[in-house]
Amino acid sequence: MATHIAPLRKLWALHVLDGNDIHLSLKELYEKLSNGKSGCYWELFEVYKHLRSLGYVVGRHGIPWSVKGQHIKSGTCSLEGSQESNEMLEMEPKDENSVIELFNNMQITDVSPAFNVYLPNSKFRKSSPGDPSFVLYISRCSPPSRVEIEALERKHGAIPFKFCHVENGRVSFFSFAKTELPVLS
Amino acid sequence: MMPRWKGKGLQAKANADPMSKIVSQLQSSLIQFETRGLLSSCSVLVEVDAELADLLNRSCFGRPRITAQEDKQWFQLDMEEAFYLCFSLKCLKVIGEDGSIKSNEELWDYFKSKKLVFPVSYKVYSHLRHKNWVVRSGLQYGVDFVAYRHHPALVHSEYAVLALSEGDNDLNGRLRVWSDVHCTVRLCGSVAKTLLTVIVNSNNQGANSPSCLEHYTVEERTITRWNPERSREDQTSPKNGTKKGVTRF
Repeated sequence: MATHIAPLRKLWALHVLDGNDIHLSLKELYEKLSNGKSGCYWELFEVYKHLRSLGYVVGRHGIPWSVKGQHIKSGTCSLEGSQESNEMLEMEPKDENSVIELFNNMQITDVSPAFNVYLPNSKFRKSSPGDPSFVLYISRCSPPSRVEIEALERKHGAIPFKFCHVENGRVSFFSFAKTELPVLS
Repeated sequence: MMPRWKGKGLQAKANADPMSKIVSQLQSSLIQFETRGLLSSCSVLVEVDAELADLLNRSCFGRPRITAQEDKQWFQLDMEEAFYLCFSLKCLKVIGEDGSIKSNEELWDYFKSKKLVFPVSYKVYSHLRHKNWVVRSGLQYGVDFVAYRHHPALVHSEYAVLALSEGDNDLNGRLRVWSDVHCTVRLCGSVAKTLLTVIVNSNNQGANSPSCLEHYTVEERTITRWNPERSREDQTSPKNGTKKGVTRF
């Protein structure tokens, strides 16, 4: 494992690569994620990590799954296992960027969706991912208003969406679903 | 969340005795006896005989007050309950301090003076009552109302209701910050209720008179917490020949 301070992209790979050195990688990773314009990535990382550790398939909304020319294990989009890591480090810059940009340039805004999430065991395939089980928004400031939620319902149609709130290391997910109580007799 | 009936056979009992019919009987009786309510601070007090007392109890309007009288009973109605009987069901008249009957507009102004958000909370109350849900105060749960499918003796309430209004003039102020969402959802869950927000849009009609109410629109939304630890099974992949529960989002 490289001991020099690597750019963010390699830290990401190193973090998930090597369980033994994970402690060091995480510290470097934390520092990187807290600095400057990548300061908002920490919450994204927490959410991503939380869902991935439970087996969910998580992809960035709006970024295509397949990376041309790579043999990425189907069913995952993260970078686990030494085989993928070697492949990733060997990737062409163009392709490397498309995976790294999972977090680069990502802004948490209440109006742009962060992730597409698929259930674990859902026979997910990168070549044809299908519709996500739900789209996830990361909320920073306040809960969404009714107007905001309605706009999202129009945008996503049949695909459900959830809001995720991260604070103090706690990741919580909420649904705001339209309903209509039945008329009783 | 499915309704939780309090005992065997109670659902059938409720089905055999529809709330709409009980309320309708209450309405007829109140009109027949020309019942008058007395305005008292934030309540309306009504004096009723045994038959009306029974109907009030069965339709879940008001709370009986203990008195020494034997042949008559006193019931205390909340503002929303009283206004529903006066304005929507037109079966009750309310007398003020001066002994004169209050018009709907006068009652409206009076209740608004006691509770700033009365127009919104009344709209929500009447919206649910019109659908024949039983609506009671939700104060003990930190919400505006609780809604039951039938009499609380037969069934637990399914919904904890918050009456919210849209836009900048939202006087209720609930669920504006995430901590309130966390708190309210958690509390509702611990008492086995789903948080229901009923959002009222006044459509710029203002709140000068109760006639504004018919132009208000209402939207219902539930707020629920999703637990990723519990929802991992794919709904379409049966294991060992048995079908798994559906994962709902």
